[in-house]
Amino acid sequence: MARKAQSNPQLDMTPMIDVVFELIIFFVVTLTESAKRDESITLADGKHGMVITAETLPMEHLQIDVAAFDKKGDGRKRLAKPRISISDREISLQDVYNLVVERKKRYGHEFPVLIRADERTPHEYIRHVMDKCTEAGIWKISFTAVAEDNTSEAKKR
Amino acid sequence: MARKPQEDPQLDMTPMIDVVFELIIFFVVTIKPQDVFSRLNVNRPAPAQSSAEQTNDPVEEIQVGDHRRSDRKGVYVYNGKEYDIKTIKPILKKISDVSSDATIVVRCNGKSPHGALVDLLDICYEYKLMNVSVFSM
Repeated sequence: MARKAQSNPQLDMTPMIDVVFELIIFFVVTLTESAKRDESITLADGKHGMVITAETLPMEHLQIDVAAFDKKGDGRKRLAKPRISISDREISLQDVYNLVVERKKRYGHEFPVLIRADERTPHEYIRHVMDKCTEAGIWKISFTAVAEDNTSEAKKR
Repeated sequence: MARKPQEDPQLDMTPMIDVVFELIIFFVVTIKPQDVFSRLNVNRPAPAQSSAEQTNDPVEEIQVGDHRRSDRKGVYVYNGKEYDIKTIKPILKKISDVSSDATIVVRCNGKSPHGALVDLLDICYEYKLMNVSVFSM
């Protein structure tokens, strides 16, 4: 049986390109998926704060969302009780306490706790969340604000 | 049986370019610009904080009031006088000129909107007043 010539000087690139595109699409889709948050929140402006980037904010940070309205934009309704959530999953104040305690055990008391609250949330609800953090031993708290507004309709009130 | 020549030394680029353009158009259309966020750090009063820990740095107290009692967005009280977000700015500048290590104590009314507090913190950061404590009333 005659063997085909094994060495093929020209490498066929087509399957490799196919696979690379497949991977690019996979990573783009999964990366956008990971940045989940409560989309109903309108943040106040904070142009002079520390800008949040992947480098300045450690991975172990905890961002707590406090929403005051059911959605963004026109015709929104004020919630009877603000919604506390992390990664768009609603949690209770007791959960906040448990989460902070758990993280503190793992990372020490220096990990950043961010509160991302709607600018119209009454302070007493922010206070409840902050009190739970203090109870758990975190006295340094950050508020998330908008440094640079790139989504023009976001500031509609 | 005659075999076709297997090798085509010239790789046909046309389909690849088509696909790449398709992808570029897809991503340009779907990816929207993202806001850039910032963080404003504050301290909470520690329950065990003793007066022995106090330093010589000045402590200035500003209250954030209930905005619904007035037509302004944020109401601030400093030394018994009322200010809004524009008029409180020179006050904070003066505090920062005297000492940038000054501690700003912000007392928030429970009904005050969170935005009023963040606006005030933003001004503190503008004037490099980094020691901000938030108390709740």
